[in-house]
Amino acid sequence: MSALLEAKEVTKIYAKAQRPSLNKVSFSVSKSEFIAIMGASGSGKTTLLNVLSTIDTPTGGSITIDGINIKNLTDSGAADFRRDKLGFIFQEYLLLDSLTIFENIAVPLTLQKLPPEKIENMVKSLAETFGIDTQLHKYPNELSGGQRQRASALRAIVKRPSILFADEPTGALDSNSATDLLNTLKESNKTLNTTILMVTHDAYAASFADRILIFKDGRIVQELFKQNDDRRTFYESIARKVAKLDTER
Amino acid sequence: MHHLSMALKNLKNNFSFYALYLLSAAFVITIFFAFTSFSMNKVMLEKISNDGRVETMCNTISVFLMAFVVFYMSYSNRFFLRRRTKELGIYALLGYRKSTMLSLLMTENLLTCTGAFIAGILLGGFFHKGIVFGITKLLDLAVNHSEIPFFNPNAILKTACFIFTVVIVLALSNGRFLFKTSLMDLVRYEKSAEKKMKFHAVLSVIGFLAVISGYCLALDILRGTKSLWITVGFYPVGMLTFALILSGTVLFIESSLPFAVQAGKKNKRKFYTETKIITTPGFIYRIHSNSRTLIMLTLLSAATLTVSSVMALTLYYPIAAVSRMAPSEIECRIEEENEITAIKEIVNTYSSDADVTFLQTDLYKVASTAKQLPMEYSIGTSKGDADNEKILREAGFECISYSAYKALLEAQGRTKVLEHLAALNKDECILIKYQPDPDNNETDSVYPLLIGNEEIPVIVTSATLDNPISFANSVGTLVISDDLYHTIAEQSVPAVKILSINGKSIEDNEALFQALSDYLPGSPYLQGNSHRVHEIFSLNSSTFLLIGFLVVLFFIAAGSILYFNNVSAVTDSKSDYEILWKMGYTDKRIKKIIKKQTAAFFSIPFLFGLADCIFGTLVYKSALMQNILGNSPLLYAPTMAAIILTFLIYLGYYHITVHTCCKAVLTK
Repeated sequence: MSALLEAKEVTKIYAKAQRPSLNKVSFSVSKSEFIAIMGASGSGKTTLLNVLSTIDTPTGGSITIDGINIKNLTDSGAADFRRDKLGFIFQEYLLLDSLTIFENIAVPLTLQKLPPEKIENMVKSLAETFGIDTQLHKYPNELSGGQRQRASALRAIVKRPSILFADEPTGALDSNSATDLLNTLKESNKTLNTTILMVTHDAYAASFADRILIFKDGRIVQELFKQNDDRRTFYESIARKVAKLDTER
Repeated sequence: MHHLSMALKNLKNNFSFYALYLLSAAFVITIFFAFTSFSMNKVMLEKISNDGRVETMCNTISVFLMAFVVFYMSYSNRFFLRRRTKELGIYALLGYRKSTMLSLLMTENLLTCTGAFIAGILLGGFFHKGIVFGITKLLDLAVNHSEIPFFNPNAILKTACFIFTVVIVLALSNGRFLFKTSLMDLVRYEKSAEKKMKFHAVLSVIGFLAVISGYCLALDILRGTKSLWITVGFYPVGMLTFALILSGTVLFIESSLPFAVQAGKKNKRKFYTETKIITTPGFIYRIHSNSRTLIMLTLLSAATLTVSSVMALTLYYPIAAVSRMAPSEIECRIEEENEITAIKEIVNTYSSDADVTFLQTDLYKVASTAKQLPMEYSIGTSKGDADNEKILREAGFECISYSAYKALLEAQGRTKVLEHLAALNKDECILIKYQPDPDNNETDSVYPLLIGNEEIPVIVTSATLDNPISFANSVGTLVISDDLYHTIAEQSVPAVKILSINGKSIEDNEALFQALSDYLPGSPYLQGNSHRVHEIFSLNSSTFLLIGFLVVLFFIAAGSILYFNNVSAVTDSKSDYEILWKMGYTDKRIKKIIKKQTAAFFSIPFLFGLADCIFGTLVYKSALMQNILGNSPLLYAPTMAAIILTFLIYLGYYHITVHTCCKAVLTK
């Protein structure tokens, strides 16, 4: 499979920090892959996500996404890149309170200047596929946490991004809502071929991915592959590995 | 940590946050102190107030000013309290008592108000001195400036007591808030989601109709004698108009505006754009929680604009009308021949220049047998007609010769009138109107003049507002041909002799006018152009100055409230802008969104205020001001000036607000 994302020796050193937050991290992501990034707090997961998504700039190394070296992008070039190539899901949902769910999902499409009819059709059909079509005209504060996060996920995938970044998307959800959301992401990965890079420290959430990168002190210390395991077996192997790493701290 | 050092640290660390509050509070105290110093300035009050009118106005305005300062400081305090509730919640979680938090807030308020007080006293002292200097120059008053202290101790004491009272009021209000709010609410108070907006179609339509009806009713005054203002009465129609516009404004902002914006979302082509999809729902969302503030600002803005516009018109109109009330620099009636020599001597004593012209005009009073006569013919002949009712006028035309008319216009420097002046045949005349009368056009009217036993008809070739002689000396003036004038002069027709004195060198010569006034004591016929302008300034300047204090304060408050409101809304939604940025919105696009959102909240009070001001001024001018100048667009110059000034002030505040909002949101 061809590499959609290629990170080579990516380093990030914050001023006044004693050690690098990212220390020569290299890995690649193929198209339609679902990758989870795990690690303890402060291990560099979120820094990696910010650097990969042009929110932050790396101190060294190179990052190529869809053939574009993002290090060379100007501010407006980076904005256009995020608009055209990337989707985001955050732990706190971060929906716009003043907009209805329909409008929230439509925002990325208006940014791409699509015609109104197309925007309506795309939002409606996606909402139907993922079962929130009855909630479209409600405001975020009228929905449960799980429903809001699902809307947030649809807002990220509606524009068919090259890659979807999810930062602890199940962090604020109860177990049922978390499973629903992870199923949504998995479904999107399978049916829409969405490439997903998800940061989590929850082994259960990570078990929905195809591959897991485990971070420690700004480096990838372990890589786990699902291969032909079922999700439950994969979950158990992740849990064992994480527990082992925890005892080695 | 002691709460004094905590308060100091907090103010120091958040200086930029408190800077505008400190600045606007300092401005408010500057105005208050300058006003208080002025109202306690006995030297000035003795010079400009003979009847205690200024003192009474000072007391009345002082009440408004105090109420306004309390309202403004309470609003600002509430804004800052809201911004800090989460922080107060953390203090509470750490075990701080509410009484400790209250004393922390009070200490901060006391420190801020002390800073603002010191700045206000310093600036206010300068401002007061500036006002005194301006008035003495404007009215040419002899004032010993060393008698007026820079800092009036009584004014300082009054200001200090008042500010201390305000701090106590704020502390009580903060205490009420703190003790009523639970710990959970304190922590979660900062950004609570708004309830879903409900749209009321009926209320929206009523609001829209009420505003339109109010404005139509105001416009109805232009129909003159047929208008409801005349047929039904000024007071009931005025009250109805006021009630319609007031209730309409409230309903329009609360219902019609969000309803219309919501309906506008149906236009998908316009709505599904990167900016509109954010700004339109954002506007509806914000108006829901801010409608009361917007209504209050709109009414404040309307009152400020209307008061400043009416004030400017009230000062400008009489000054513009002086050209008709006293067209010559000095004019008087000659009762005895020797008066002319005496007057010339007085003038020569006070002015040595050769540019002074003395023109004597004989006006002949002639009766007419016409059935339809202009109102000027009999104006001032009965009680209630004129300002000076002690002297009743005899009905008739007061005839002046064409060449005398021309000579007077020339002496008065009215070249434009002279350019359009056509010659008169023996049977022709020009009627000088007292005020424009569009309902009755006298041109081509024929008035038979009774001269001796003969009736000589004259045709009115034009009716004009360009009178060469003041109304104190001649009303119903008819400019007739020199031939006819000589015919009248040969008959023993009653005549009045008028002496008109003109010349650049005698302009603004108050000493000369005083000398003539002493020579002709109590004469109602002595008129002076510059003297009249001076008189209007000295009679009205104190009133305008005192109202000016209120207007300035209104502007500071309205601008600051808009600033606080917008900055608060934008910084509360900082996370929303972060999402947009991550989605691919550039800084430029986000700035555009902030600009649009801020502009919407600035334009509502401004545009409503503008409309109210235009219609209010129209009613005021049409109904309450005597119209002797016609409908020259120049008359609306002061209104335009007031509007432009207000616009510039709003624009300034708008730019400062957008700058602060962008700085708060776009700083990575």
